[in-house]
Amino acid sequence: MTHDIASASGAPASAPQAVAAPGPRRGRRASRAGQGHTITSGRALPYGLLAPILIFECVFVLYPIVRGFLLAFQNTSFGLTKWVGVANFSQMVHDAFFWGSVRTTLEFTLSMVVIWLGLGLLVALLMNWNFKGRSFFRAALALPWALPDVPTVLTFTVMLDPNFGVLNRVAAWIPGVHHDIKWLTSPTLAFVAIVIMVGWKGFPFFGLIILSSLQGIPDDLYEAARVDGAGPFQRFRAITFPSLIPTLAFLSVLAFIFSFQQFSLIYLSTGGGPGTSTSTLSVLIYNEAFQDFNYNYASAVAVVGLALALVGTLLFVIFERRVARARMSAGSEI
Amino acid sequence: MATRSMTEPAPLTAGQRPRRPAPSRLAKRIGRYTLLVVVAVVVLFPVYWMVLSTFQPEKYSLTYPPPFFLHGFNLGALTSLFEQQPIVAWLAHSLLVSVLAVVITVLLAVPGGYLLSRLRWRGSGVFGFLLLFTQIMPGAMIVVPELQFYRLLNWTNNLFALPAVYAAFTVPLGCWILKSAFDNVPGEVVEAAIVDGTSRIGVLLRILVPLSRPALTAVVVVAFFVSWNDYVFASAFITNRGLYTAGLGISTFISEEDIQLYQLQAAAVVFSLVPAALYMIVSRHIVRGLTAGAVK
Repeated sequence: MTHDIASASGAPASAPQAVAAPGPRRGRRASRAGQGHTITSGRALPYGLLAPILIFECVFVLYPIVRGFLLAFQNTSFGLTKWVGVANFSQMVHDAFFWGSVRTTLEFTLSMVVIWLGLGLLVALLMNWNFKGRSFFRAALALPWALPDVPTVLTFTVMLDPNFGVLNRVAAWIPGVHHDIKWLTSPTLAFVAIVIMVGWKGFPFFGLIILSSLQGIPDDLYEAARVDGAGPFQRFRAITFPSLIPTLAFLSVLAFIFSFQQFSLIYLSTGGGPGTSTSTLSVLIYNEAFQDFNYNYASAVAVVGLALALVGTLLFVIFERRVARARMSAGSEI
Repeated sequence: MATRSMTEPAPLTAGQRPRRPAPSRLAKRIGRYTLLVVVAVVVLFPVYWMVLSTFQPEKYSLTYPPPFFLHGFNLGALTSLFEQQPIVAWLAHSLLVSVLAVVITVLLAVPGGYLLSRLRWRGSGVFGFLLLFTQIMPGAMIVVPELQFYRLLNWTNNLFALPAVYAAFTVPLGCWILKSAFDNVPGEVVEAAIVDGTSRIGVLLRILVPLSRPALTAVVVVAFFVSWNDYVFASAFITNRGLYTAGLGISTFISEEDIQLYQLQAAAVVFSLVPAALYMIVSRHIVRGLTAGAVK
């Protein structure tokens, strides 16, 4: 962190930089100064506050991650643990089940980003006017998000039941559809069922956030556009959408993260099957570990999953910044 | 977009609402309301169905077509659930675990938010990245090594050890939520306190925290929901049926053959009651927090 600028108020604290030997304790070198509202005196305090959190997170997150990495390069059979190099990873490369799960993960996260943001945007636009019952509507929209995973799965299991399920009753209204759709036993339909369930749970939340961002757009912009004779579609293109870009970019990152993290909704309703049709990487890892008790292989898959999460998030963050910047400058020209 | 035609002047008729739609817009308005009703039905239907199936007389859970409305009122599903399953103990376990996780989260996230927001120190960038990474990482990715770690400590089947894992995931989020709340406290307020001789811990505890109550509520709710909601870690760490948390216990019903569909729904309703009640109590704070965040 070199962005600290030694301001006048930081004078008493700026000395130690030369004094402190490059010892192991970074805390000694400490912060020098700050600007504005930053509180400057007492160098040890931040590190004192930091220590408990850092220790806690290291013990419960970092250490397991490191352990997981090690596990990925080992194999255990009959209680004997051996280092096997990249054997688990080369097994993975030839594992059709693994590649099927990678594909499912990509299809699933992509579907969720599109559905959550698309439906969320529609709902937000639909709600962006003064109508009676708006506060009721807001509360209702927050409900699926607040409903825990286990009851959600229980309810959808009952609703999707091939014999008595209500969704089949509704589906049978469509001409030519018979009411015995076996949702969770056909690969395509199981995937669709998962997407419906997870989509239902998430899109209202995204709608609420987009709505609050819509309401932040100044009314004068719309008035000015109206004076210029812009129709509803033009106003959406020139004002609403560009103003929403930063929010949407941020939300697509969030949607990616949320859908990548999805586990219990999928696992509890289909267990990943049939085949790999609903087996995302999280589900695959869990099945490898707790069905087949193959901890080492599961850890190797987890390493890939962690790397994917990291790369994907970085890409999204970069993409978000670029799009936001491009759109902002383009928007100001219109 | 409630549009008003360009040619006609704004008719200022209805008191406080100057923008009254012209009669020609009535159709549009009806269309909007219709769509809103459709959305409301889609959003509420599963919840409605969950409650309906709980109180529907048992015979209807095994008939096709399933009726859309209540035909009589039956508490049989609920009573049989409480009689046949250790649901009360499971709920108590969930409550214990969630409350402990909330306590750890608040204790660590308050200084964490302060570190990210108002204090300047070397390594804050790395710290922020570490927290972000913890948030992004799916729980299932570390469940295996975490389980081995817990076994090493002999912490499996221990309801007092389980909350630590949840807190490990909620502390980072809490730090970020509180950071933005602390950022929003006007700098003059903080400076005035410092001039008055308040220590930096005093600034945190007596100024920043009281002024960030909605955000703190959000942190409590999020930490509670995450812990109450969890399946991954509970299913790995708790193997003793007598120690199951509610989520874990109820989820075993899904694959159980001899349990009836209506009992599944009763369990779902019971499990949802605590978070729903909590949400009702604090929803004002949450909505306020959300809108305040959006304005900034």
